[in-house]
Amino acid sequence: MSYASTAGHDEHHDHPTGILRWLTTTNHKDIGTMYLIFSLIMFMVGGLMILAVRVELFQPGMQLMQPDFYNQLIGVHALVMIFAALMPAATGFANWMLPLQLGAPDMALPRLNNWGFWLLPPAAILLTLPFTLALFGIGDGAIATGWTFYAPLSVQGGIGVDFAIFAVHILGISSVMGSINVIVTIFNMRAPGMTLMKMPMFAWGWLITAFLLIATIPVLAGAVTMLLTDRHFGTHFFNAAGGGDPILFQHLFWFFGHPEVYILLLPVWGFMPQILQTFARKPMYGYKAQVYSFWGIGILSVVVWAHHFFTVGMPVPALIYFMFSTMAISVPLAVLFFCWIATMWRGSMTFETPMLFAVGWIILFGIGGLTGLVLADVAADAQYHHTYFVVAHFHYTLFAGGIMGIMAGVYYWLPKMTGHMYNENLGKLHFWLTAISFNLTFIPQFFLGLAGMPRRIPDYALQFADFNAVSTVAALVLGLSQLLFIYNIVSCARGGKKATDRVWEGSDGLEWTLPSPPPYHSFTEQPVIK
Amino acid sequence: MAVVAITAAFSLLVGLGFSFAGAWLVLPFAGLEVLAIAYAFYYIHCHAGDYESITIEGDSLTIEKHDYKHDSRTVFNRYWAGVLVRELPCGDHSLYLRSHGKEVEFGRHFMNDDQRLQLAEQLKKRVGVIT
Repeated sequence: MSYASTAGHDEHHDHPTGILRWLTTTNHKDIGTMYLIFSLIMFMVGGLMILAVRVELFQPGMQLMQPDFYNQLIGVHALVMIFAALMPAATGFANWMLPLQLGAPDMALPRLNNWGFWLLPPAAILLTLPFTLALFGIGDGAIATGWTFYAPLSVQGGIGVDFAIFAVHILGISSVMGSINVIVTIFNMRAPGMTLMKMPMFAWGWLITAFLLIATIPVLAGAVTMLLTDRHFGTHFFNAAGGGDPILFQHLFWFFGHPEVYILLLPVWGFMPQILQTFARKPMYGYKAQVYSFWGIGILSVVVWAHHFFTVGMPVPALIYFMFSTMAISVPLAVLFFCWIATMWRGSMTFETPMLFAVGWIILFGIGGLTGLVLADVAADAQYHHTYFVVAHFHYTLFAGGIMGIMAGVYYWLPKMTGHMYNENLGKLHFWLTAISFNLTFIPQFFLGLAGMPRRIPDYALQFADFNAVSTVAALVLGLSQLLFIYNIVSCARGGKKATDRVWEGSDGLEWTLPSPPPYHSFTEQPVIK
Repeated sequence: MAVVAITAAFSLLVGLGFSFAGAWLVLPFAGLEVLAIAYAFYYIHCHAGDYESITIEGDSLTIEKHDYKHDSRTVFNRYWAGVLVRELPCGDHSLYLRSHGKEVEFGRHFMNDDQRLQLAEQLKKRVGVIT
């Protein structure tokens, strides 16, 4: 008789409890949970900042704050939402779901994973600390340049800019760590038989996201470092008086900044077809077409950056190139939209909360995409640039396309993660309140932009008052309705109806073969994919 | 290898491009990042096949370890071997198999404390003097 016991490659030394569990954990599910909780907290922090801004804009004239503080709130709101809310949410899902979907016991580099997360809280503190320091008379508050750090304004700014530069460096290191981990995991730890073209779409979305981060983070890191040396070490990279070029900063920033949009969206595009096929109860339409579209969008995203500053004064051939290359992105994006809709076509659809968010997401993100096409037109952009039309456009892409997508993912996977079903009625109420108040917040901003209201101003002409009032009231409803989201998540984590392993009738994929919640070590024996 | 090469080529191309435009500080960051990716792939390449195994067959108890290029194989007599669990200062436990003055640690890198204790209980039933 023969007995054998084998220990595979796994980095978990122990399973501590209490605070140590969270500080030292290398478990992908623990780290994923920490990312998601951190994201939710920062989502509320960033949301509160912008609600203060919206209240200031409720009527013309200065009501609550000085213009400089207003500028600080806008800049930090954007940095928090992009780097500390949306990106960590996507990374949280990657940590939770990639090993489960790929049939791996964990991420390939678990300690790196732990470091990647624990870099985030110090970065968030650096971003927001200048507000507190200013209360004690230290410095003049947070970064007030908007999230774009444009030189020469940022060269002249206060210590908030330095804090933001270091925060961005730390966030960049964290992102690169996460990306390396995702790439290495996907290439080395897929279950036997899972070829690249059999991977779940979410893994494809994240693989391309990781490559985009690897390609663009060094450019951002270089740009903000040059900014730092311009500020403190006498260099003139962006100072025209010293032979530098402020426009160079814009090229550097947007070489990172435009792919960043797809970095935020590709993970959502990855899991959304899975939600659609689950609740349409039919297979995903056009898997290969979606994968190739992801690649097409990923590649195009790094060659279109200058459409963010058409009005800066570029040569006409450059304008034409950036206009047509930007418009070209709509081709693979249209393929994706077709596939998403075709997945639902003649399906046996039911509209649980994840599906409500998914369908709402297709419509609202579609509006974001179409209005982006308007801005890609050089002639039209000359009119709309730096107006509220742009603000409304990128909130349709990043709030509807990003955050509402993340919400769909939360409701979809929450029963799997916690082992309990969430409150469906509250979920649906949350969706309708969010969708309606979001539209009432941002549709008026399209009209404000078309009428010529510039963005990033604390005061405005009387003609814009009505739309601003509507937008502010709706924004407050939007903010308050997120309390339902938090309540639903917390109550689901604490208890509720027991979730089955499959959770949803139409769910398909390796993650649904594990118990709900999955054991501490998922897949101690690799599943084989046929 | 191809993944590292393509990623490195693109990152360095971007770094060089911006260097020619005057933003040379992009290049060192791109270089550092490429080194990090290359090391991550190298590390996984070296250690993806690492394992430890215990095989009990007939009278023999065989412990095999593979750590990158280092292989070790220890054979004990199943009925003479002993299972030893030592408590560490941190409260965790280490698991040893020993016989005739020779001791081999097992599960240090690949198992957590619960798993080591569980395995020790299983082994105690199958090695040494079995009653």
